[in-house]
Amino acid sequence: MRNFYSQTLLGVALVVLSLFFAGCATQASSKYWGQVEVPQDNVMHYITGSEPESLDPQFVTGQPEARILIGLYDRLVEYHPKTMQPIPSMATHWETSDNLLEYTFHLRKEGRFSNGDPITAEDFAWSFRRALSPELASRYGFLGYDIKYGEAYNSGKSFAKKDGKFLLAKDFAEKAGDSDNDGKIDPIGEKKPDAVKIEESDNKDVTVPKLEADAENPTSTKAGVTPDITATKTETEFQQFINSPERLTLVKPTDEKSQKAFDALVAENPKLKTALEGVEYVLVKAEDIGVEVVDKYTLQVTLRQPAPYFTGLLTHQFFGALHRKTIEKFGTAWIKPENIVTSGAFKVKEWKPYDELTIVKDPMYWDAKNVKLDAVVFYPMDEQTTMMNIYKSGRIDAIYNHTVPAAWNDYIKQFKNEYMLHPEVATEYYTFSVKKPPVDKVEVRKAFSLAVDRDALEVYRKTIKKSAEFVPLGIFPDYEKARKKVYESHGVTAEEMKKRLFNPEKACDLMEKAGYKVQKNGKKCKVADFPADKIQLSYNTAESNKQVAEFVQAQWKQNLGISVQLKNMEFKTYLPYRSAIQYTGMARAGWVGDYMDPYTFLSQFYSPKNDSSTGYWDPKFDELLDKANNTKDPTKRFELLAEAEFYVLEDQPVMPLSTSGTSWMKKPYIKGMYPNPGTMHPWKFIYIEKDRSKWDENVDQILEQNDPAVERQLEALMKSQKDFEKSQNPTNNKDTESNKVEE
Amino acid sequence: MLKFILKRLIIIIPMALLVVTVTWGLIRIAPGNFYSGEKELPAAIKANIEKKYGLDRPWYVQYGKMMYNIIRLDFGDSLKYQGQSVNEIIKRHFPYSATIGILAYILALILGLTAGIVAALKQNSFFDYFSMALAMLGLSVPNFVLGPLLVLFFSLGLYILPPARWGGPSHLIMPVITLAAVYAAYIARLTRAGMLEVLRSDYIRTARAKGLSETTVLLKHALRGGIIPVVSFTGPALAGLLAGTVVVEKVFAIPGLGNIFIQSVFNRDEPLILGVVAFLSILVMVFNLLVDIAYGFLDPRIRYE
Repeated sequence: MRNFYSQTLLGVALVVLSLFFAGCATQASSKYWGQVEVPQDNVMHYITGSEPESLDPQFVTGQPEARILIGLYDRLVEYHPKTMQPIPSMATHWETSDNLLEYTFHLRKEGRFSNGDPITAEDFAWSFRRALSPELASRYGFLGYDIKYGEAYNSGKSFAKKDGKFLLAKDFAEKAGDSDNDGKIDPIGEKKPDAVKIEESDNKDVTVPKLEADAENPTSTKAGVTPDITATKTETEFQQFINSPERLTLVKPTDEKSQKAFDALVAENPKLKTALEGVEYVLVKAEDIGVEVVDKYTLQVTLRQPAPYFTGLLTHQFFGALHRKTIEKFGTAWIKPENIVTSGAFKVKEWKPYDELTIVKDPMYWDAKNVKLDAVVFYPMDEQTTMMNIYKSGRIDAIYNHTVPAAWNDYIKQFKNEYMLHPEVATEYYTFSVKKPPVDKVEVRKAFSLAVDRDALEVYRKTIKKSAEFVPLGIFPDYEKARKKVYESHGVTAEEMKKRLFNPEKACDLMEKAGYKVQKNGKKCKVADFPADKIQLSYNTAESNKQVAEFVQAQWKQNLGISVQLKNMEFKTYLPYRSAIQYTGMARAGWVGDYMDPYTFLSQFYSPKNDSSTGYWDPKFDELLDKANNTKDPTKRFELLAEAEFYVLEDQPVMPLSTSGTSWMKKPYIKGMYPNPGTMHPWKFIYIEKDRSKWDENVDQILEQNDPAVERQLEALMKSQKDFEKSQNPTNNKDTESNKVEE
Repeated sequence: MLKFILKRLIIIIPMALLVVTVTWGLIRIAPGNFYSGEKELPAAIKANIEKKYGLDRPWYVQYGKMMYNIIRLDFGDSLKYQGQSVNEIIKRHFPYSATIGILAYILALILGLTAGIVAALKQNSFFDYFSMALAMLGLSVPNFVLGPLLVLFFSLGLYILPPARWGGPSHLIMPVITLAAVYAAYIARLTRAGMLEVLRSDYIRTARAKGLSETTVLLKHALRGGIIPVVSFTGPALAGLLAGTVVVEKVFAIPGLGNIFIQSVFNRDEPLILGVVAFLSILVMVFNLLVDIAYGFLDPRIRYE
């Protein structure tokens, strides 16, 4: 009987195995992976990742949603399909004031919501204000913090009014320590030598700032006097208010918690205490933020401090045009397909949660004639194998980034007409808890960083690009040029640059310098008395994180003779553990840029309460960043940013490991879809090519290939801004429209 | 009998509330929250969110509010999926799981009972060995292996069945087979064992001695006793099948309740977790009750007072 059992089992096993090989044998015979058939219709089928949380662009935070929502909501500027740099969309052109604080956007007049209502500057202003409202509690609210008083409004802060005058931020900003205080020195507005602490207001009782019209010159107006005397003719009342020196904003103590925060703030700054006695708190309202409707088709945004990346930031779905009436009528139900009104190239047709979301071309869209797809169907999925299966079976035309499992990479990359691996605007790195020994010593941190062979890591991981720098590689070519120059000025030549990636000898020397007993053995060494039991390498549970952690662990063991324990935690458990710096040693982190500028990476170390999860802060670094953002010349600005990057990495609060790669696939008949650094695809450029001879080939080089159809479309779109810039340049930039530099 | 059922039904309510309370406590103990992500949020934004969702209130106020809502059968809105109520989500996704679950259940019963009965009747025959070997295989091959194997062959080899997603009947074939395999195997083995035991018992001999036809003996007398183990197994199993199985739903990208449930835990989506837990616990308790009632019909020795 036993014999019989085993025979039967063997038989069944053979059947299963033969099925398996039958399945495999049908592959690899063509130059494409799986089924590739010319689609009959103009509908694209795409997997964008997990189920969208919402269709409200100000509520969601994930990339899966972002990819859908940029199709549904038009913004002032659109992503360039190849570089993700801003190109004109609802704004035909825009200009920046000389002090880099004011952005004026000129809107096209033919913009329409999906219900036919015109899109005006008023809609954008309302949308921006809603985005920042504390009641909406958007998790991405911080994207609007560059807008003047945006953070104050979002944080529920108040202006402090005393004797009819408002206290000014700059008078209390000596302590860089209070970031809650908005304590940024106005870098452009000159400090008056005998600074008057209090700004006068002409009207004590009216709380609507539009009517307040605070004059910028405190001596020339008095309470009750109309401010027209000092105002230049082009300045509206709002402009006078928004262009006057920044007011002090703080949270009014109302309950126990806010009282505590308030007490702490006052304790730090005694000057504040006396000044705040008997003040009247005026809550910052939506209308107070630096967004102004100049006329129906002109929108002006005033920033609290220069942010040269600001136009790039506006490509984000967070700044899309929303339909006020719909939202006010339906509340949170406005996103339901039967209620929703959108402003983008596509509109919602059907939404079956966890199944599919269909968006169709919107005939109301101002650029509808250039929208080539009739519809895009999104499938919410995040299981890698399932996605690959469904792609192979030909039911899906493209998949999102990181969908190709690492183990499949060697096999998949042979399909050169479909597979794309390009640098992503994301850095993977380990943070150090810089305040806890033994990694409180910079030598120790540097040694750990230098003892990891990143070349080997790149080979092992397959989809990444090795890097010891924090700003990702291969995405900002101009920045990298600047970085090369700056690093060279610090003696970091190309040769030295390579050594930053791996230098066990130097690592050993540094350990010795840190005071440990080092037994050298060729290039490697053994640090005998290192308290390895005191530190851990923590990461959130994921196969790829585990692979990297084990690799790095082995490297430290080999090159330094230090055995560091690994600790993995479930994602949501891990996050507060890392951000509260409860870990000792190192912790895994990844950072995806919110916009296409190195600042989105470097700002992580900015301000004492920064997001780096390391405990690191250096005022000198902040100064460098401020200086950079006050620089109008892009090359010089990048040099200053590179200087800041070099500066922070000299302290090594983090050890960068790699720039991530996108790693995704599309069928060859999908054209106009590019492996840009965020795999963010403006859908209006994408089309389905039915002629096989015109299909995409060698897609790894697709960014260098020029598709005439896409190029023509791009050129037409970018013309308005280019023409405008041309018209500005010959007559020098001192145009009348932006003469609001405070004098 | 009726009294017994009523009593059991009434117990379900406090039991479900207890389950919800324990779950609520566990969610509160677990670190992390629904709004945290790779990017650390500024304190002001966290404060806004906590205020919006009432998380800044003391825990007993939050607990009281939650319980009050649950008693009114209103689990509130999902925290992750904006503007979607928990009731709406359960109502929308339960049918997917239930469809696949019921079909798999029926398939498992047909296959399992047939194989088990025939194997018991023809003990030690080729069919007995073959079907029991197959059942062993069915039990040993986990569904996360069987599912992808089926996909590999039928979808990516022959291109005849869709590899994943919800759609027409062709989309159901592989998930149902994958889900049914283990249950069919289990039922087959239980049936065979149960039948063998019953067939040897005295009352079957008596029945045969009375001169009843073999069909009557089998279907009326033997089967009733023989499938009692199957019933005690399939009651809770059906509840599990209806509620959705995470693996099969993940592999085939089916928008079922199991998938939603696991995601809600990862998302720390408290109202959704509580809603699904309450729903599932009631489902399991009701099916256990049904099993108990079924015993009464199947086994003449069991009486409910």
